Amino acid sequence: MAQQRRAPAPPISGKYCEDHMPDYKDVEHLKKFLSAHGQILSRKRSGYCTQCQKALKLAIKRARHMALLPFVG
Amino acid sequence: MKTKIYESMVLLDNALVREDWKKAKATVTDTLTKYGASIVTCRRYDEKKLAYQIKGKNRGTFVMCYFTLEKDTMAEIRREWELNEKVLRSLILRVEEVPATEHELAAAENNADFVVPAPPPDDMVEEEEPIIDPVPLDEIMVPDLNDVDLDSKA
Repeated sequence: MAQQRRAPAPPISGKYCEDHMPDYKDVEHLKKFLSAHGQILSRKRSGYCTQCQKALKLAIKRARHMALLPFVG
Repeated sequence: MKTKIYESMVLLDNALVREDWKKAKATVTDTLTKYGASIVTCRRYDEKKLAYQIKGKNRGTFVMCYFTLEKDTMAEIRREWELNEKVLRSLILRVEEVPATEHELAAAENNADFVVPAPPPDDMVEEEEPIIDPVPLDEIMVPDLNDVDLDSKA
C-alpha cells in the first residue's frame, strides 16, 4: 500500500505569529485557516504556535457567532 | 470598581436601519447609557451579507462601540440586547485601549455631510469578481520537440 504524502509543515517562528495575530474582525485572514468544509486547520497546517493557535480558534469562533464566518461549508 | 474599556459589536436588522439610521444607532447607545456606560466611540462598522441566516435575514448592519463601564451591569446590557428583536447578534469584549483609528472613523461619521448608504434588499446577489480570461491557446508558444538538439546539452 502506497504511503500517503503529507503536506510540508510551514515554518514556525515567533515572527510569523507577531505579523499575523488573529482578530475576529479580519475575516479575510481567518478564511485562510478554514478548510473547504469550514473546519479550523490544525496547528501543523496553520503554522501558528500553541498560544496563537488558541487565539486563532477563539477569533474564528467569535467571527462565527457574529455571522462573519460560516459554521459549515 | 475600576473603570474598564469594552468593545462591543452589534448586528442590527437592516429594516431598522432603513427606517432611520439615528434611531437604529440609538438602540445600541441608549442601552449602554441606560446601564451606566459612557460611550467613547460608536460608528457603523459595515453592512454585509451574513454567513448564515439569522431570523430569516440574509444581510445585516454591524455597529461598533467602545465604552467604559464602572458599574457591574454587563449582564443587564447583554440581556437587553438578547431580548431586543432588532438586535440579531451582539458581542462584548474587554480591551486594553481604544484603537487610534477608531476616533477618526467615528468623527468622520459624526460630520454633518456624512450620509449612511441605504442597505440593499435582503435578497440581493453580490457581484462576483470577474474571472480573468486565460491566455488563448493560439498565443501559447510551444517549441517543436523535433527541433531541440538534445545532444548539444549533453
